[in-house]
Amino acid sequence: MSGDARGVSIAEPFVFATAQYESGDWDSAPLVPANVIDSIARYTNLPVRPQGVIVPLASDAALQYPLLYLTGHLPVRFTAAERQVLTRYLDRGGLLFVDDHNHDVDGAFHKTIREEIRRVAGPLVPLANTHELYRCFFTFENGPPTTSHEMNGWGDNLVHEQLDAIVRAGRIRVLYSNKDYSSEWSFHPDNKRFLSVDNTKFAVNLVVYALTR
Amino acid sequence: MTSRPSVGFVARQLRHIARIRHGLMAVASGMAVGVIASLMHTMGWLAAPESIWRVGAAAIVAASVFAWLRIRAIGATPLVAALWIEEQSPGAPDFSLVTWVEEGCPSEGALARAAHARLAATDVMAAIRQLTYQQCASPLVFLIGALLLWWRAESASVSDAASTTPRAMPVVVEPADRKNVLHPWDIEVVPPSYAMRRAERLGDASSVRALAGSRLVVSGAAPSGDTLPLTATVRAIRSDSGQAVALPVDRDGDRWLVRTTVQGIPLAMVFANDTVRRQLVIEGVADTVPRVTLQAPIRDSVFRTANGTVPLAAAITDDIGLANALFEVVITSGEGERFTVRTVAVGTQRWSMPALTRRATVRASLDLATLGLQPGDVLHVRAMARDHHPDRDRDLGRSETRAFRIARPSEYDSVAVEPAPPPAVDTSLISQRMLLLLTQKLDRRQRAMPRPEVIRESQRLARDQARLRLAVGDVVFQRLSGESSAEHAHSAGDGHDHGVELQGGKLTLKSEGAGLLDEGNDAPVIAINQPLLEAYNAMWDAGRALEQGDPHAAIPPMQRALEAIERSRAASRLYLRGRPPQVIVDIAKVRLTGRDTGSTASRSARGALPAPAAARDRRLMTWLTGSLAPAAFRDSLALLRIEALGDAPAFASALGSAIDALAAGRDLTPSLVRARRALGVVQGVVPSQWTRGVPRQ
Repeated sequence: MSGDARGVSIAEPFVFATAQYESGDWDSAPLVPANVIDSIARYTNLPVRPQGVIVPLASDAALQYPLLYLTGHLPVRFTAAERQVLTRYLDRGGLLFVDDHNHDVDGAFHKTIREEIRRVAGPLVPLANTHELYRCFFTFENGPPTTSHEMNGWGDNLVHEQLDAIVRAGRIRVLYSNKDYSSEWSFHPDNKRFLSVDNTKFAVNLVVYALTR
Repeated sequence: MTSRPSVGFVARQLRHIARIRHGLMAVASGMAVGVIASLMHTMGWLAAPESIWRVGAAAIVAASVFAWLRIRAIGATPLVAALWIEEQSPGAPDFSLVTWVEEGCPSEGALARAAHARLAATDVMAAIRQLTYQQCASPLVFLIGALLLWWRAESASVSDAASTTPRAMPVVVEPADRKNVLHPWDIEVVPPSYAMRRAERLGDASSVRALAGSRLVVSGAAPSGDTLPLTATVRAIRSDSGQAVALPVDRDGDRWLVRTTVQGIPLAMVFANDTVRRQLVIEGVADTVPRVTLQAPIRDSVFRTANGTVPLAAAITDDIGLANALFEVVITSGEGERFTVRTVAVGTQRWSMPALTRRATVRASLDLATLGLQPGDVLHVRAMARDHHPDRDRDLGRSETRAFRIARPSEYDSVAVEPAPPPAVDTSLISQRMLLLLTQKLDRRQRAMPRPEVIRESQRLARDQARLRLAVGDVVFQRLSGESSAEHAHSAGDGHDHGVELQGGKLTLKSEGAGLLDEGNDAPVIAINQPLLEAYNAMWDAGRALEQGDPHAAIPPMQRALEAIERSRAASRLYLRGRPPQVIVDIAKVRLTGRDTGSTASRSARGALPAPAAARDRRLMTWLTGSLAPAAFRDSLALLRIEALGDAPAFASALGSAIDALAAGRDLTPSLVRARRALGVVQGVVPSQWTRGVPRQ
């Protein structure tokens, strides 16, 4: 929050930030930001900027955003600057959401990004499906919602029951998904009207959790 | 008495005294732990521990202390006993007895005579009695004190438990001058027979919580004479306009009796005579219907054909006891305006009465083939359960319903396109990894095998390797030229230009534009064929070695081929796409709010309380600020709690805590604050770094 000249408190809008890293294909899900922004506008009163930003992970600019979205298909190797900024980002209370666009347990992205996360923030552990992340806005009784890619046998042909996370002091620092939300949410938001159930609701929980916990 | 047995006797006595002292100290320590636990419970620092846990903890502590003392104890040896006797003897010690024992107790000589004289001069038994008293007195006092405290704490704990059971009010302690026909009374609750519960005597309680249908008997000492100067009425608490119903007051010898039946609504019984009026609050708890949760199947579904078995499972709980449960399957057939419905019961289970079952899981399987289903039929499956309540018209416990539909053949010709699964792998080919493993196995065994057999096995592997090489070649050529065969008479200058040349059975990339693939006007894609070409050529080498019956020489090129295929797999994961659209979400449009004015929502004062809540708040505040007697205040709170049970459970719960606090002599403030917050639907703020919430007090 910040104050304007009249002393009236005006909320700074939430900005959805996609992390850009040197290796791999960081921009593999270009429609996810717009879709998440649309859902936040649709279901919440949060002030939200209508367009997301792409922020280099090696830049201090990343520290301005409470939630960073990182995805890709290809092997990920952070540079020293990226590791350093990411460490500071997480220490300052930011939340990094990593989604494996391959939906693979043994894929190149999966193995390399988990290794990089372990170097930066420690090992990922399964997040209980009763965690408040699944209840902080919409309620997901069974934990993370299943994606159509899981149901249709793509990727590793598994339905992942849980997400992985690094939690410190009761707060999620890094959230890691094998469920390929990047594919699930990468469609033009105008097409949301064709869905009987909006599959981006979990993204609202993610943003609300990042902003309020 | 000889000196040797006497010294041994004293040593044994000293050991006995030490054991007794240690035992007393250990028992006293255990009792002290039990007393401390009881005191902590009394102070509210510890939840009420069961007596068996208190006794167990005390026993463990006692055993530990005893073991510790025994380990630390110095053994009373004959030498120690001799020294102790020397200390007890009159006059200064000359250590003749100690020396005599230390020397091994010779029977003759001056030393033996001196030792005997020393022993004879000492009154050993008197000294032992005095030592026993000294060593055991203080632990015994400690033990007696601990015993008294334990007994006192247990008595307090028992009376506390009795006063809070069942729920609601403690026993009312009335002043002696108020003793009359209504003080004290005795309450007996007889639950309905189907509940299989024992009758309870609650003593002189002011509030009763009982199962609806229970028989309630209030009795008291009746004065002599023919008439009873007592009236009893009962009315529903929540009904303002409800009339009080007079209850008959009977006499049974020297006692008066009033009987009523507990209903599912709160009741207030009022007893009065000429001088005293007393109230009994009855909180009737209705028997709830069983709660049924369908565990399987977990979701609705569409079956392509009407065969197979569907497992069914449901979890059922009840507050009293389950009588029976089943799965109900409703089958709807037909279309348009002609439908037929039939119901099938599956997996019926019954529970007999003598043993009440409060929790159960029922399972069954639904064989679709036996139901005679047709395409388009819909099955609705749910679980149902009934308890032992005698009213047969009572509602059943029902689970949610799952629906299954048998698909019509025509619906698969519609636009409902199922996503295609990933393409199946050509499973007739042995993988390069498998070929490598087989070759390595043959290499290890070949020394023990006859040479012709080695050659035969090796050539068989060579044929598999050749087939795999051809498949790899097909991939290379499909990517480069769309042709499916890698080995169709390629040679230098033959007019074909696939970017590769066949030289001596191997493929080589041409120098210009080698392995590049153009896609329209976009930039050329990096050569994805180089690893496959490497694999192809390595397979060629491996195949040749295998043809010659040399599996050992075939292993390195096979490993190279496998590595190249892995590299190719990684390199092939390229995602080709155009420029993504720049989407800017129109927030105002999404929120249906028109154009954003830049203003944010402002905070506003909370609205007034609803009338019923405001009335309750006024009553509560009147009592708090007034000068009600504690008993009247407690009864008023109890009435208000019962009133609120139905429509304001959080408020009622907070009042229940306040009543408990009042009975225990604790501070009522937190409970009453919670009650008022519950009335006003005030949500507490959870402090966090991001919300900047105000920390809770």
